[in-house]
Amino acid sequence: MTSAALASPTLRRGPGYWLAGYRWMLRFDLASSRSWLASFVIVQVLMGAGMAIIYGFYLGDMPPAAATFLATGAPTQALVPLGMAMLPSLIAVRKIEGTYDFMWSLPVPRTATAASSFTIFTLLALPGVAASLGVAAWRYDLDLRVSPWVVPAVLLVSLMAASVGFGVGHAVPDPGITNLITNLIIFVVLMFSPVAFPIENFPGWLAAAHRVLPFWHMGNVVRDSLTDGLVPAVGTSYLVLGAWTLGTWLLAAWAIRRRR
Amino acid sequence: MTTLAPPTADLRRGVAYWWHSYRMMLRWQLVSLRLVLPVTVMVQVLTGAGFVLALGLFFGQVPPRAALFISTGVLVLTLVTIGLVLGPQLIAQQKAEQTYDFLWSLPVPRTTAALAWVTTNLVLGVPGMAVALAVALWRYDLDLHVSPAIVPAVLLTLFTGTMIGYALAHALDNPMLIGAITQLTIFLILGFSPINFPADQLPGWLAALHPWLPLAPMADTVRAALTQGVVEDVTRSYLVLGAWAAASVAATALILARRR
Repeated sequence: MTSAALASPTLRRGPGYWLAGYRWMLRFDLASSRSWLASFVIVQVLMGAGMAIIYGFYLGDMPPAAATFLATGAPTQALVPLGMAMLPSLIAVRKIEGTYDFMWSLPVPRTATAASSFTIFTLLALPGVAASLGVAAWRYDLDLRVSPWVVPAVLLVSLMAASVGFGVGHAVPDPGITNLITNLIIFVVLMFSPVAFPIENFPGWLAAAHRVLPFWHMGNVVRDSLTDGLVPAVGTSYLVLGAWTLGTWLLAAWAIRRRR
Repeated sequence: MTTLAPPTADLRRGVAYWWHSYRMMLRWQLVSLRLVLPVTVMVQVLTGAGFVLALGLFFGQVPPRAALFISTGVLVLTLVTIGLVLGPQLIAQQKAEQTYDFLWSLPVPRTTAALAWVTTNLVLGVPGMAVALAVALWRYDLDLHVSPAIVPAVLLTLFTGTMIGYALAHALDNPMLIGAITQLTIFLILGFSPINFPADQLPGWLAALHPWLPLAPMADTVRAALTQGVVEDVTRSYLVLGAWAAASVAATALILARRR
C-alpha cells in the first residue's frame, strides 16, 4: 500500500509565506470593496470638509486662536468614523451575510488578514484628512505650521482607530450590538469629545475620563503636528495611543484565534 | 344556472369605513415597528438632550442667544428627523424586501396609510421634544415665552416634514438612492440649516436660500411660539411651510394613485 502524496508541498510558514498571504489578502479586500470604495472616499472627503465648516456655523464669529483650535481638530474627527464605525460594521455585515467564516477559512495566516484590514483602513482615511485640513485653512485663513510629525501622527491615529474598530468588530459576536457600539462611538466623538473644543470646557469627571480614552490624545498628536505651542506634553499622548493600539491588537488576537 | 353572490356585501367607502381603516393602519404600523420603536424613541431622546448639553462643551461659557437657538432648534430636530430620515429608510427597506406592493394591496383607503404614518411620527417625536426642552430648561437659564401658537407650529412642522419624506420615498424606486439622500438630509439639517444657530452665521447665499426651503420656516414657526422678539415675522414662514406641505401631499397623491 502506497502512502498518498501530500496535497500541497509548499511550506505554510515563514516570512515569505506571510508576505504572499498579506499581498493576496490586500488584493482580495480591495477587489471585494470595489463597489463601494469610490463612493466611500467621496463621502469621506465631504464629511471631512463639512466638519471643518459646520462647527464654525455653530460658533459664529471666532477669534483666530479658536478657529485654529477648531480647524486642527477637524482632521481627527474626519478619520475617527472610518476606523471605529465603518470597519466594525463591515465585519458585522460579513457576519450577517454568513461570509465571515469563509474569510477565516482562506489559507493565509490570520495576522496577514488583519494587517490587510489595517493597511486599507489606515490609508482610506487620508483623503478625508487632507480635505478637512484644506477646507479649514481656506475658510478660516489659518496660520498652520505643518511639521514632519504630521506623517507619524496621522498614521498612528488612523491605525489606532482601525485597531479599535477591528477589535470591536471581531470580539463582539452579535452584529446588532456592534452597530449599537459604533453609533455610540460616533455620538460621543462628534459631540462629547475634546477634539474640536478645549478639554477645559468639560466637567471634571468627563475630562478625567478623556485623559484615559483615546479621543483627546488623537486630537492632541494631530494638532501638535500642525501648530506651534497649542499642545503641551504630546509625548504622553503618543504613549497612550500606542497603548490603545497594542491593547486592541491583543483583544483582536484573542478574538480571531478562538476556535469554535 | 344560478348567479354567484358577490364575495362581500360591505360598502367600502364613507366616513365610518375610512375611520375604521385609519385605526387599523395605525395599529398595523405601530405593531410592525414594535422592535424599532423603543430604540428610536431612545435615540431621539439621547440626541435631543445630547445636543443641548454638547453645546456647553462647545462654548465653555454659552452666550444666551446661542443657548436659546439650540434649545428651540433641537425641538424641530426631534420633530422632523423621523419623518425626513427614518420614514424614507423604512419605505426603502420595504421596497428592498418587496413587501411594498403587499402593503398597498391592503383593503384600506391610501390616505389612511399616510395619515396613520403622520400620527406615528407624532407619537415618536413628542417624547424626544419634551425631554430636549426639559433638559434645556434645566441646563440653561432660558427666557422662554410659550404661546398657544406652539400647537399649530409643532403640528405643521411635523406634518410637512413627514409628508416631504413620504413623497420622496414613494417617488424614488432605488432603495440605495433613498438611503444616500436621507444621509445627505441629516447632514443638511444638522450642519447647514439655520435651525440650531442663527441664519446670519451661514454664508450670505445660503442664508438667502433658506427662507424658500422648508427647514428654516419650520425652525422659525416653532421658535416664534416659544420666544419673544427672536423671530420677526412668522406669517411668511407659515405660508412657505403650508406650500411645501400642500406640494408634498399633492406629489404623494399623484404617485400613490398611479396604477402599475
